[in-house]
Amino acid sequence: MDLYDIIFYLFALLTLVSAYFVVTNKNIVHSAFFLLFTLFGIAGLYVLLGADFLAVVQIMVYVGGILILLLFGVMITNKITNVSIKTGTIHIIPAAIVIGLFAGALASIMVKTQWQTESAKIPFTTSYALGKSLITEYVLIFEILGILLLIALIGAASIARREEKE
Amino acid sequence: MDLTSLNNSLRLITPEIILSIFLVIVVVVDLILKSNKKVIPYLAVLGFAVTGIVVISSLDSSGFAFITASTSSKQFGMFAHDPLGGFFKLLILSVSIFIVLFTITSSEIKQIHLRSGEFYALMYGMVLGMMVLVSAVDLILIYVALELLSLSSYVLAGFTKLRDRNSEAALKYMIYGVVSSGLMLFGISIVYGLTGTTNLYLINSLLQGPQINILTLLFAVLLIMAGVGFKISAVPFHFWTPDVYEGAPITITAYLSVASKAAGFALLIRVIQIGFVSFVGSDGFWNLIPVFDWKALLVLLSVLTMTLGNLSALWQNNLKRMLAYSSIAHAGYLILALATLSTQGVVAVLIYFIFYALMNLGAFYIVMIIADRTGSEDIDDYDGLGYTSSFLGVSLIILLVSLVGLPPTAGFIGKLYLFIAVLDAEMYVVAVIAVLNTVVSLYYYLRVLKHMYLTKASDSTQSVRASGGEKIILLLLVVPTLLFGIYFQPIVDFTKSCITVLGV
Repeated sequence: MDLYDIIFYLFALLTLVSAYFVVTNKNIVHSAFFLLFTLFGIAGLYVLLGADFLAVVQIMVYVGGILILLLFGVMITNKITNVSIKTGTIHIIPAAIVIGLFAGALASIMVKTQWQTESAKIPFTTSYALGKSLITEYVLIFEILGILLLIALIGAASIARREEKE
Repeated sequence: MDLTSLNNSLRLITPEIILSIFLVIVVVVDLILKSNKKVIPYLAVLGFAVTGIVVISSLDSSGFAFITASTSSKQFGMFAHDPLGGFFKLLILSVSIFIVLFTITSSEIKQIHLRSGEFYALMYGMVLGMMVLVSAVDLILIYVALELLSLSSYVLAGFTKLRDRNSEAALKYMIYGVVSSGLMLFGISIVYGLTGTTNLYLINSLLQGPQINILTLLFAVLLIMAGVGFKISAVPFHFWTPDVYEGAPITITAYLSVASKAAGFALLIRVIQIGFVSFVGSDGFWNLIPVFDWKALLVLLSVLTMTLGNLSALWQNNLKRMLAYSSIAHAGYLILALATLSTQGVVAVLIYFIFYALMNLGAFYIVMIIADRTGSEDIDDYDGLGYTSSFLGVSLIILLVSLVGLPPTAGFIGKLYLFIAVLDAEMYVVAVIAVLNTVVSLYYYLRVLKHMYLTKASDSTQSVRASGGEKIILLLLVVPTLLFGIYFQPIVDFTKSCITVLGV
């Protein structure tokens, strides 16, 4: 196990443990703060994969933008901060069986499969290549994502709006 | 990618471009108009019609748009423009036109007329997602199109906000949808890890190689089927269907039960035929690459889906919920036709879909008209309606008889071709199960007719009278249901000309 592996497992552990606390914590503000570590851990994994642009975007958009918005939203609507969220577990035995099978299958697959691999290169900056393929090969996907965002905006506004009395 | 090939690609996706333009027009017109928004639905119909004409004019041409992958001899794009896609696009657009016509007369939608611009914009988003989905041959594009379709439908399912049930439907739909699309994305990532590509054609050629790990592929395909199964509401991914269909505005319920199911089936046909078929035999049967047993999976899904759908429908007193279970059962028959893994099977699916669209839309429309007047979808409120409103009664008889699959209606022809395909594939046991299922379905469809004609109306039953416009829309659905039951050759010929999949 070399240094690279150790760093990888550290980031993976950070992501998993904080994600566990996001889900189980009863206080929504605490959950939001744990989400910070989850998102940060994922950004670390991106760096290790040589995806520098993605890592920066992850920190800027998720940690810097969305999470701060989430916290503001929670703090401004002070009713939510006092609500303790119901985090009970039901049907624990069937769930455990299904998840156990799933995890077992997943683990054996991850170990045994011969994955398509590519030898590690010295990482270059990826933003140029990423930008280029987004507007050439993947331009259709790029445009459809644009429409997807428009639809998401319209939908969110429509759901959030209070019904006007006539 | 140079400019000529970009031009070429843009020419092939003209229908989608026109739809996007109309989406923007709808949003802008909605902003300009202050309170009187009556023109927007007609604008929406116009957009769908124009797009439909463009699709028809390019129906017999084919080609790849947005070339991203190539082998030594061939080039493959991420978007395949071919007759099969054209067929499903036409079906989706015609269904959309009917749904917009439904909304014009629906009282549910009239109550939210101030937000109708958003409603039609979201519908356009849905149609665009479906149109891309039926042509997509790249896993990333498939996923993005599926998300566009799902996201719009989540909002539409809870759009009216008139009752708590609306929001419940939207929330349930979204939670199930997000989980299944997450599973699907995970499956896609495993396929990418195995093959190193997201293009279905390249995946096909790599699967024919020796070093594919079969267990891993099985796992990935099952995960991807979770996403597809959710869209076509196949058991065991059907749990959302009854609740969402019952809670959503009835126009959207009808839409989900036909259009988004059609898109899901188009996706399924494409994934199997492009990704997993090594060659098509001269007798029309597909020879699969021996890495995954699609036949076993599809037969299992189909038997479960139709049996559970039909048996659950027996106990329903709410008509919307009953039609929801009946649509699950119909998805089961359609999967069965696909399970034959043959060209005849695909022809049967397409024919069945045309007729299913007519009769299902019609049945939902009648339920909508009655619910608009009486405020109820309960079967007890249909007592004696056959006498007080004979037009609706007779139409409902025709549509329900067609849903059972009895002559002389279109539903019979659909089932006939379906069973011929299944028997051709020598799947006798499943054929018997499907026939038994049809017999079961007879009970719950005829139960509605019993309430309408054989039960005396109680004093509280209101008489329901359809307006002129509603009668015309209904006739547009009922007359073809009868006509195609007798004179169906043109539909069959048209369908047979539309089964070509590019590059197979």
